[in-house]
Amino acid sequence: MSTLEELIANRRWVRRDEPFPHVVAQNVFVPEFYTQLDDEFRRIARERPEAFLRSMAGYDASAAELAHFRDGPLGVFVSRDWHDLVSAVAGVAATGDVSGSLHHHDPGSATGWPHSDLNPGWFAEAAPDAHEVALPHDEIEYRRGPRLPGVTARETIRAVSVLFYLANPEWSPGDGGETGLFADFDTARLGPRATVAPINNSLMIFECTPFSLHAFQSNRLKARNSVIIWLHRAKDDAIARWGEQSIVNW
Amino acid sequence: MCLLTGAGGTLGAAFCHAFAAEYDIVAVCRRRRPDIPSQHESYVDPLAPQTQLPDNDARVFTVIADLEQPGQVERVVELALARFGRVDLLVNNAAYLGLHPHGMIDGDAALRDFDRHFAVNVGIPLRLAVRLGQEFWMHRDQDNRTHNRNVVNVSSLSGARVYPNQGQSVYAASKAALNHLTRHLAAEFGVFGVRVNGLAPNSFPAIISTESVAEGITRLDRDDVTGRILALEGPGEPH
Repeated sequence: MSTLEELIANRRWVRRDEPFPHVVAQNVFVPEFYTQLDDEFRRIARERPEAFLRSMAGYDASAAELAHFRDGPLGVFVSRDWHDLVSAVAGVAATGDVSGSLHHHDPGSATGWPHSDLNPGWFAEAAPDAHEVALPHDEIEYRRGPRLPGVTARETIRAVSVLFYLANPEWSPGDGGETGLFADFDTARLGPRATVAPINNSLMIFECTPFSLHAFQSNRLKARNSVIIWLHRAKDDAIARWGEQSIVNW
Repeated sequence: MCLLTGAGGTLGAAFCHAFAAEYDIVAVCRRRRPDIPSQHESYVDPLAPQTQLPDNDARVFTVIADLEQPGQVERVVELALARFGRVDLLVNNAAYLGLHPHGMIDGDAALRDFDRHFAVNVGIPLRLAVRLGQEFWMHRDQDNRTHNRNVVNVSSLSGARVYPNQGQSVYAASKAALNHLTRHLAAEFGVFGVRVNGLAPNSFPAIISTESVAEGITRLDRDDVTGRILALEGPGEPH
């Protein structure tokens, strides 16, 4: 695989403070590589529809495990280089543990509920070294940690979320399908304070904190597709930062 | 230093992109922000996130304000003066455009839209100019002339012409009122050395480029004319 220096087209990503700190960028990858990512997502949706499960409680979307498709171009999102780039852009010391999924919202999907992504994620006991990543383990349930006898596990907390939009119809204002960003739960009922449009080859990155409230906004006519990637931090680190009560258990 | 309304719109954002390095801009936005570095936004190189980027040197100061709400014009003036200590150029760019393609006679749509057109397209430019005059300009006539301080009201060719069957009647009437308000403001503000002009572009970006309209604003800013409505018919064809 090419290096990120060769794959990344846009060297001016935009860091925004409101309503919570996040980074957005368009034209992220060079066109040739973006086309590979786009083609791969469409191929998986076409040939492996059973991989997309509606497993997100209360969320009108289906998702497929990114780790199952790491051998193709989508593998860039679970590479150590990508992990380190995201970690540095977000300014977060992450553990090397990476989870992710391919998300699909059918046209007319309902608006989601604001959530922070400050959730647990369980990985194998042995932490990855500085040059590799750890992916969710087949014998450990990622969200709550139950596992087969004899398997040891380690609880982490999601540290950084990445939403990369791809394989979508051309987007126009009014189409919906944006990611809504909220300042707080109290004013969330009035609608998002800011939105990020699902424009192909664009992304949003944010540190998962108790205040990183975001939600899918209903898409009226067009499907919305994305790849979501999460980096993780040690649980003690998250507790020291925000207190255990801030962690949203599944 | 420039106080710009409608900064998140097509022309406002283009002005910020083109001239943020030249002016200290207070960018007033109702909801959309211009896609440019500000106190809330900066560029980062994903492959070298700690590097200081020269692109971040020219930042606008963004103020979110719904100028139709009571007290918001006064708040914006106060913030601009608190941040920069002066306003050299006021660009009244925020506008409301409601079209009535089935004509004024079609139900009550044109009647319903009348007040908002005149409130946004005439009332807010007037209030901003008056408040800036009262808060900063009226006792600084020498200083104003030294810094060539002025107001540019962004109008439209619709304010002087009838484009049939496009549903622009109420919008056009409000721009005509803005044009004449501009002439009256020029007559009064000349006493303390502040020039007031209007810019009347053709449709942008369809007929005339947005960048050329943004340049039209700076042309009026650097000039010494007052009481003029500068029409921009097409690329490179000012009248």
